[in-house]
Amino acid sequence: MKALAAFWMRLLAFTLLALIAATVLFEKQSPPKTSIGGDGLPSAGTLGPVYASPTQVKLVDLIPASLSGEANQDSEPFLAIQTANPQVMVASAFTPNPVSSTGNAPVYVSQDGGSSWVLNAITPVPRMTCDITHAMPTGENHPRGDLHAGTLACAASITLDESESNDVSSSAVMNVQSTRSNVDQPFVRALGISNADHIYVGVNDFNQPNGRTATVDVSVDGGATYKSFSIEARNNAGQDGPSVRPAVAADNTVYAAFFGWRKFNGKTATSDVVVVRDDAGGTGPNPFQALRDPSDKLPGRLVVKRVSIPWSNAPTLGQERIGSTLSIAVDPNNSSTVYVGWADRGRKGDIYTLHVRRSTDRGLTWSKADLPHTTISNATNIALAVANNGVVGFLYQQLSGGRWVTHIVQSHDGFATVQDVILANVPANTPVQQFLPYLGDYDYLLSVGNEFRGVFCANNSPDLADFPQGVTYQRAADFNTKTLTDGSGNPVPVSIDPFYFSVPVIP
Amino acid sequence: MNFSSSFFAGILWTALLAPAVVGFPQEQNSQAALAKQSSIVFSGTVSQLGAVSFAGVPQSTQTIVVRVDSVLKKPPAVSLKKGDNVTVELKDPSAFQQGTQATFYTEGWIFGSGVAVKELGHDFNPGGASAPGAGRGETAPGYTQEQISDQELRDRLNSADFVVIGRVTDVHRWTVPKSATPHRVSEHDPDWHEAVVQVQSVLKGAQVKGNKVVVRFPGRNDVAWVHSPKFEKNQQGIFCLNRDQTSGVPTEKVGGRQVSVYTCLGHGDSLPLSDAPRVRSLLKK
Repeated sequence: MKALAAFWMRLLAFTLLALIAATVLFEKQSPPKTSIGGDGLPSAGTLGPVYASPTQVKLVDLIPASLSGEANQDSEPFLAIQTANPQVMVASAFTPNPVSSTGNAPVYVSQDGGSSWVLNAITPVPRMTCDITHAMPTGENHPRGDLHAGTLACAASITLDESESNDVSSSAVMNVQSTRSNVDQPFVRALGISNADHIYVGVNDFNQPNGRTATVDVSVDGGATYKSFSIEARNNAGQDGPSVRPAVAADNTVYAAFFGWRKFNGKTATSDVVVVRDDAGGTGPNPFQALRDPSDKLPGRLVVKRVSIPWSNAPTLGQERIGSTLSIAVDPNNSSTVYVGWADRGRKGDIYTLHVRRSTDRGLTWSKADLPHTTISNATNIALAVANNGVVGFLYQQLSGGRWVTHIVQSHDGFATVQDVILANVPANTPVQQFLPYLGDYDYLLSVGNEFRGVFCANNSPDLADFPQGVTYQRAADFNTKTLTDGSGNPVPVSIDPFYFSVPVIP
Repeated sequence: MNFSSSFFAGILWTALLAPAVVGFPQEQNSQAALAKQSSIVFSGTVSQLGAVSFAGVPQSTQTIVVRVDSVLKKPPAVSLKKGDNVTVELKDPSAFQQGTQATFYTEGWIFGSGVAVKELGHDFNPGGASAPGAGRGETAPGYTQEQISDQELRDRLNSADFVVIGRVTDVHRWTVPKSATPHRVSEHDPDWHEAVVQVQSVLKGAQVKGNKVVVRFPGRNDVAWVHSPKFEKNQQGIFCLNRDQTSGVPTEKVGGRQVSVYTCLGHGDSLPLSDAPRVRSLLKK
């Protein structure tokens, strides 16, 4: 009898201890009202079929505490990481100047590896950009530079500025190095070369003759001068699609992908997905002609031919518009391996379907079908990146069950096996869109060291259930009542915010 | 700019109790002008010299940290309240020491875990007194980002070819003729619409023949045009117009004659009739 009583007492004590331990652990993993410390990272809650070890994910809402009262649609994010010091990063979104309708449009700056961000109004565009991308190589050796940006200013006309900042923490407005109108969707990549960064800006340039609008602006002198090269060699529908995406490897191999529109009827573009390559950093007189398609011997390899891409400049995929999502990524240490991803009207019933293909011979041949696990229905905002160990990262946002679900997928074997981590799973019907794009015409993913870092936009309701990996809010938020406040206790409506994330690269 | 009563009270208080600084009407005027020019105005006490209040702000001999005693003006998006520490980049730091109390007229600079601002001007608060509103810990909205400041409106009025008061009698979609510049497909396509405006009064520019103007505006809710006015039939207002240099077709045949077409594209280009006195006043200056 005594032995039985002792057993039950020991069991009770053990249970109590276990409960206390579990409570402590749970509290450590749950953010307090507004945030958790930058280094107090929660464990991944959603793991793919292959890797069962916990994933340390950092996820941060970029809106600073001092702008807690804002309710803008801060959509279409982008990210630049300084190559020499990855603690320094610049992010952007459709965030207006917070105090003036004529002040400069801002960027977000972090100097602590993404744990905290400040907003600094240094772009050359008044109030708010209507497209901005950037890169931050450090060939010119500025500790908080060199940020190279391509921005569109949209006032009476749409104007591209290609500009530079030597110090993103200063109040100096970025120096405009090149400007022209009648172009669309600048997309900046860069390679740090001592004293003269190489900069590649994909643009859809309506100034190009014969409607061959897919263009790469190349600077080999840190942006002091640019040359524009049309990379479309074929007849088209009077223009190409908006997305023109360069990718740069350390050995000076530069790829670019674009949509070669062959027909356009106002609702659907019949398009080739084209990849061009240059082996000398775009420095020759006729760059981007290293790849030719066997079908017509013209520059530019046709990865897929004549796919139907729906074009809708109205809410179509949830509250988002669709028509041009495209990404290309090259292995930084093996420029023979390159991935390209896009969306088209895939299987019947799907609104917009993602696909990823791969080449392992410098773009000469491509996988005949989508790589495994990469045909994704009703999804957009594809962003690919390849880490130093060859692991490919695949960021996308999928409309599923009335929610926008943001995935970061990794694979070391061409997606035969994957780790799929859900970063956010948020309502798709709130907030109501203020303008298009709702989340963005793109998001972004980069690799640095043993991390994938990226940005995406999402409903900012402070609800832990929406962020399975945990989240840090800089802005005032109460996760218990799931409300945003202005810092003085007054409620602030839910809006779209940009989020920064970092995930470790899988082995 | 709609200033809150507390803000005007602040100006009045400063004028009455700080005669050494703003004792003359001329100076009061410049104070008011400074206040209008500023996006953030607050009273506070200097706590540190050559310092900053949060990471991410470049520290220099010109930066000081000021503890906020009262907030007199700020945009609603900005979180700022009594007791917060603000970094101020001064024009002349030699005039300040620890404990100095002043009202700071500033423009926003860097927003992070705190607020950093650049000084446009200041008033010292003699005797350690603080401005009205101090102690309430209040925010003084009196400003929304959608409202256009006097300076911004003046600039817009100066750049407009026409400023008219009118009523919209018709709105219809306008398709760029095929003979014009080749149509380009872009997510920023404006989806042009036209509004016919019956002009009731011309505030700037020559009289309009027939008292009607055609105004092109983007119908698309794309980010490029989100701040452009969208016209509706029977809408009345004040419209800042420029000759159309955007659509590629600057004239149109109306009633058998070729007339110039105008655009109304910018933030603040369409104002409510209640702004008429303000617009007239700014046009006179």
